[in-house]
Amino acid sequence: MIDDPIFTPLKFRNLTVKNRIFRSNISGKFDNEDGSLTQTRINWECKFAAGGVGAIISSYVPVLMEGRIIAGYATVHRDDFIPLWERLGAAVHRFDCKYIMQLSHSGRQMDMPGVHNYHRPSLSSTSRKESLHGFLCRAAGKPEIEHLVNAFAAGAWRAREAGLDGVELHAANGYLFTQFLSSGINDRTDEYGGTLQNRARFLLEVIRAIRARVGRDFHLQVKLSAVDRNNVIPWEKKGNVLADTVEVAKWCESEGADAIHVSTGSLFPHPLNPPGDFSFETIATTYDAMISSGVDAFRNFLLFRYRLLRPIFRWVWFRMKKGLPIEGVSLEEARAIKANVSVPVLNTGGYQTASFVRAGLTSGAFDGVAIARSLVANNDLVQQWAKGRDSPERPCTYCNKCLLNAPKNPMGCYELPRFASREAMIDELMTIYATRPTLNLPPVAGGPSAPELCGQRRSQLVAENA
Amino acid sequence: MDQRSTITSPDPPVTYVETELRRRRRHVLVPVLIVLALLLVVGLVVAGLGAAAAKRLTRNSTTAYPDIVAHFERGSIGADEGSGMPYWVWQALPRLFPEAFNGRTDYRAFGFLYRTDNQGRQEDLPIGISKRDYQGVDLVWFNCAVCHTGTYRTTENGTRVTVAGMPSNNLDLYRFIRFVLEAGADERLAPDTLIPAMQAAGAKLGPIERQVWRYYVIPRVREGFIQRRSRLQPFLAEQAAWGPGRVDTFNPYKLVQMKTALGAIAPGERNGASDFPSIFNQKPREGMQLHWDGNNPSLAERNLSAALGAGVTPETVDHAAIERVAAWLGDLQPPRSPHSVDPAAAERGRALYMSTCAACHGFQGPDRYQFTGGNLGKVEPNSKLGTDPGRLDSYTEAFRQRQLSELFAGTPYQFKHFVKTDGYANLPLDGLWLRGPYLHNGAVPTLRDLLAPPAQRPVAFLRGIDLIDGKNGGFVSPPCEPGRPQPQGFCYDTRLPGNGNSGHIYGTTLSATDKDDLIAYLLTF
Repeated sequence: MIDDPIFTPLKFRNLTVKNRIFRSNISGKFDNEDGSLTQTRINWECKFAAGGVGAIISSYVPVLMEGRIIAGYATVHRDDFIPLWERLGAAVHRFDCKYIMQLSHSGRQMDMPGVHNYHRPSLSSTSRKESLHGFLCRAAGKPEIEHLVNAFAAGAWRAREAGLDGVELHAANGYLFTQFLSSGINDRTDEYGGTLQNRARFLLEVIRAIRARVGRDFHLQVKLSAVDRNNVIPWEKKGNVLADTVEVAKWCESEGADAIHVSTGSLFPHPLNPPGDFSFETIATTYDAMISSGVDAFRNFLLFRYRLLRPIFRWVWFRMKKGLPIEGVSLEEARAIKANVSVPVLNTGGYQTASFVRAGLTSGAFDGVAIARSLVANNDLVQQWAKGRDSPERPCTYCNKCLLNAPKNPMGCYELPRFASREAMIDELMTIYATRPTLNLPPVAGGPSAPELCGQRRSQLVAENA
Repeated sequence: MDQRSTITSPDPPVTYVETELRRRRRHVLVPVLIVLALLLVVGLVVAGLGAAAAKRLTRNSTTAYPDIVAHFERGSIGADEGSGMPYWVWQALPRLFPEAFNGRTDYRAFGFLYRTDNQGRQEDLPIGISKRDYQGVDLVWFNCAVCHTGTYRTTENGTRVTVAGMPSNNLDLYRFIRFVLEAGADERLAPDTLIPAMQAAGAKLGPIERQVWRYYVIPRVREGFIQRRSRLQPFLAEQAAWGPGRVDTFNPYKLVQMKTALGAIAPGERNGASDFPSIFNQKPREGMQLHWDGNNPSLAERNLSAALGAGVTPETVDHAAIERVAAWLGDLQPPRSPHSVDPAAAERGRALYMSTCAACHGFQGPDRYQFTGGNLGKVEPNSKLGTDPGRLDSYTEAFRQRQLSELFAGTPYQFKHFVKTDGYANLPLDGLWLRGPYLHNGAVPTLRDLLAPPAQRPVAFLRGIDLIDGKNGGFVSPPCEPGRPQPQGFCYDTRLPGNGNSGHIYGTTLSATDKDDLIAYLLTF
């Protein structure tokens, strides 16, 4: 096992991870509406830390409330959330696992805006609506861009204050950074649009601002979509190609990024990310939660719901997958980027087989892999590999039902045949709620003061963890 | 007031998406309403046109004539729908092909007959042509009367009398059919020349109707003509011209209805041209061997077969119309012979006839024809009779098999009674004075010639002159020289295949006075 490249520590400039397996960012609606994280999230992350991954890249963490994708995901927009994230970091660290916070902003790709955002269009590089669901947006002005840059820098600072091990900028998969980077989306005529350099300006300004705020010695990695394939809706423009992303990766490196995390696609979800199936039966029961989010969402619901209409969306979705594998769907793209940068490169996309990952590591395609859905199916995937299994006993089927349940149901594996029974599946889904939090008594006018209550809670928390 | 405004103005939208959707609805509402209104208008127009087209395309009606003679002469038996041409094409043809119509705008050049209406004007269609509105287009074609209505004159300048039920002694069907087939393929039938000719003939076409004709009706008509021409014309071209009053019944039937290849018709079958028969007194004929060769004893089947010859198809045939004609023909009497004869000679002739002819032919009573006689209506083997075999041989066993198995198969009208015979039937001689020339193929011009030995019978004579011959019986038929232009009539050459005048030598050995007596009696038939 000493010689196994999977279990060889990965040294970044400012961070060393015990093995080459990262839990990629994935989340459910675990948290409070105000953006504060909950015990449920701590339980969720610890499942993976306990399973042996070297590091966890947090779920999508918005740096501003107006950058949430789904209300109910924890945010990092307030200083008073630092202790909460600190708790989460401490919980994960007990398993010798690093924790990297993914700093994010949805831009126009806002699946469920929530009460904070539903009354206004979201900020983006463009004022053209998002193409799949018809999410509405407004092109950010320059003062707003400056505000966004500062928000990312502040988010990075809060992560560092919370004792976390690094941050990742989510500049992939169609969120705000992609909306600036992609030639298929960005239609600006100012210095943030047009040439690739201009389109990358926002991302590079954020890296610079983070470095200015947190210094050179805090791990900062950037997640990029190697190829946009923006034409999921067939009449859209194709967007950036691999050569564009190679350039952007090099610029990120020179601005001070410590690693590049390679994904694919200018949308999330995208036919190639996460790779695998698309369960119409599942989405027909969950997409109703998103109908009110976009002007074209009801159309999609009809396409998902009615058997006669499904072939339309099936064609739209599956035509891009032809000829591509599921496991390592963007492996060659990672290899191309790694060949052009000197910092480590991570890759995500369906990894589940030890030998396949090992071959990628030894052949120099990447330095580590980030896995989400295969780890949701088998939290202990890394331990199974360590014990010598090449692939898990009950592997992930790439059904993507976990993805399609996200708008409505708890995050977890919904592939019933993987479980002994429906009850077993529900039990597994419910494990993240297996907590006994202390329930506080709200203050009463004329009663004990609020600080007293807070102090009481803090001492209780300390006592519980002693 | 406030209450009212809260009732009428809707609540503001909760989300930005709803605001946007509401704004869009406002922007989209007017165009959508306009589009819907346009769609409604277009839909109504389409529905209206569709209904008009449906009404038109389901149209299939013809005039019913209460008067039986009018029904016989003008009523439809279904041949117009089955084989016809549009009325306006019929009317345009004389204008497009004046050389074939002797410059007239009617069809008299082919021997068609016309009645005049009660104001003395000639009817638009000849006797024997019916009209039917099929899918909005008036179609015209034959009925029974076209082959069974003739004329006679008693003197050179006398009035021409039209007789329903006598053979169509004027109609040159061969020339007419060949003309129509040629015209069908002629460039003058292209819409650019045909439509103006139709309009010159009185057709009033609106702009839409004109396009319907240009792109639908006329191409279909020409297609039909060309198809029939390709089947029939090569055969007709090698046959001897039938001449007026004659038809080859079964060969065109093989080619057109049964789509038999020309090569499959043996040379010996190809000379079936015969005279149109008279159709008086049908009821007494039931059970006799009908048709010249006696191939069917059923009046109904014989009638239906004749209707097929006129152009009905098993799909278009109007059985009721045919049966109405048949019922009337059952007791239709021929007009009395106008010939004046020496009663004593006729009486002597009668005695002669009763002893030698009546057994095969029945006889003329004082009032009506008497359909009695041991051999009446029976087939006489041609080995014995010795007349021209062309007509007999044109009806073959192979053809009979297809008649029985294919025509009206599965319906009550399916043919059952056709037989192949070996000779010609002994026919009743009612209305004999209107039935010349004689023998089945009309090869012998007069009764007197028929009593002459075959070698002395006229070799070539003129047919188609409707002046009756009070001395010899039949029609005046002066000798002629084939190939030389005739001022009137058609030069019939007995030396051509199917035209032979041999056989039926009965009475040829009688003395001259016996023959005179016998002819005197026969002139009273």
